[in-house]
Amino acid sequence: MDAQIVVRDLSKTYRVPERAPGLAASVKSLFRRTYRDVEAVREISFTVEAGEMVGFIGPNGAGKTTTLKMLSGLLHPTAGEARVLEYRPWERKQAYLRRISMVLGNKSQMMWDIPPLDSFAVLGEIYGVSPAEQKQTLDELVDLLEMEELLSKPVRNFSLGERMKCELVAGLLHRPDVMYLDEPTLGLDVTMQARLRRFLAEYNRRSGVTIILTSHYMADVVALCERVILIHHGSLLYDGALRGLADRLAPFKLIRVSLGGGQGTDAEIALPEGTEVVERENGRLVLRVGRAEAPATTARLLQTLPVVDLAVEDPPIEAVIDQIYQEGNV
Amino acid sequence: MNLRGGWALIKRTWAMWMQQRSFFFLLAFGWMIPPLVYLFVWSTAAGEATVGGLSRGEFVAYYLVLVLVNQLTYSQTNWTVGDVIRYGGMNALLLRPLSPVFDALSTEIAGKVVYMIFVIPVTVVLAVILRPEIQVTLTSALAFIPALALAWALRFLWGYWVALLAFWAARADALLTLQDALIFLLGGQVAPTALLPGLLRQVSWALPFRYMLAFPVEVLSGQVQGADLALGFAVQATWLAVATILFVVLWRNGVKHYSAVGG
Repeated sequence: MDAQIVVRDLSKTYRVPERAPGLAASVKSLFRRTYRDVEAVREISFTVEAGEMVGFIGPNGAGKTTTLKMLSGLLHPTAGEARVLEYRPWERKQAYLRRISMVLGNKSQMMWDIPPLDSFAVLGEIYGVSPAEQKQTLDELVDLLEMEELLSKPVRNFSLGERMKCELVAGLLHRPDVMYLDEPTLGLDVTMQARLRRFLAEYNRRSGVTIILTSHYMADVVALCERVILIHHGSLLYDGALRGLADRLAPFKLIRVSLGGGQGTDAEIALPEGTEVVERENGRLVLRVGRAEAPATTARLLQTLPVVDLAVEDPPIEAVIDQIYQEGNV
Repeated sequence: MNLRGGWALIKRTWAMWMQQRSFFFLLAFGWMIPPLVYLFVWSTAAGEATVGGLSRGEFVAYYLVLVLVNQLTYSQTNWTVGDVIRYGGMNALLLRPLSPVFDALSTEIAGKVVYMIFVIPVTVVLAVILRPEIQVTLTSALAFIPALALAWALRFLWGYWVALLAFWAARADALLTLQDALIFLLGGQVAPTALLPGLLRQVSWALPFRYMLAFPVEVLSGQVQGADLALGFAVQATWLAVATILFVVLWRNGVKHYSAVGG
């Protein structure tokens, strides 16, 4: 395995014009503009191996899209270095652009008035794919995405999910080695999200394409990415296994207990020390305990309370992520 | 250069436009109106005599050719490039291994074909009714072709560099309105440039606008000949060179600026 994406101390600072609201301020800004520097990305470093599928996570404005734009060559970094497939992305060499693909969930590659097949043919020509290869790739993708019936209808009449399928085909027609996916499931219903996830996983397995994906749906990341990179306020907070993130961030477990005998509604239940009640309702309790204490606490609960049912769980990943987004550190 | 991709784009745009040809026929009709108004003004003014050495029939010929040349050189994409930059459409174009200028070129080339399907028959009908007088020599016909090609390239690139100012200023298309006004006044639409009063005529012959529209018409109808013809080509080629340099410089710096501030 070799590193396909190497990022070293990459930074991006935007200069944003700034002015107070109101007419007087807008007149003043005509003559003297004031600027504010916004550090969108600060000295992030990571490498991605060929065939990996990495999830970029972080709250809105964390710097995820800025990083993807630098890697796809749309943005010049303010400082730092990056090499993708041995190219410097922002030099925007045609040879580089032919080997990557960027799919933006909110921007379209498709022409609205013509059937997708025609758009695909043009893209195939732009990327210099031979007609035979085009056909082969298209057949494979159409089969995987089950979108045969869409091919001859104008894109204008498509649903959001159908359009996203087309965007993915458009982005993969030239068989890129590296693919950047920015919010590919944005606004899609649950079934369509799951459909696209299955497709991405299967395509990644078959073709070995390297994928960096951003998404606000943790389900996407959980289903697709063994590795996540967490960015917050432009800095890299975590890079590693998704499982490890939860372990590190949420060093506790949740214990769900159902109590028999009409107990649990009142406060007099004697809980072991260090146990926190998260929820209490009609004889059902959700408790939070430190990872290390979980077995002992469970044993105590079973001894002291009329337990009907008991389950020990990891906290949901959403809760973990929300905690970091709010607290801003790992 | 990715000619294969460029050609595919042209074919696609053409196919797309043929689907909505009535819309483009209406656009073309709109563009025909101002020259036709001046055709009637000047041919009426000439009556049975001549104005500035041109007879009624010669005015008709001048303006009918001008209608065709105007349609062939008018660069509508100059108006859309700015929007593509402002509304972030440039991102998708920059991600492709094909220069975004091909996108504009494909629209231009595809558009000409669609417009001509409408404009040529209309002009022919008008010619039958209005009886133009024109004597086309082999020399003027041969000179017309490069004059027309250069006029198109000049008008396209001149408007394109102006549109590229959208990389820095939000409302750069106001300058395109100015360009259209100058073509109207000095480019031979309101009157053939030879009829403009003294200083204005010299200004119109020095500035680029005559070479975007009137020059090929004057060449075909034999109004410019000999030394004037050679001088005209020299001025036209010089302005084209200036436009090309401005386009290249603004394009490079514009993309650099764009990728510094983000789209």
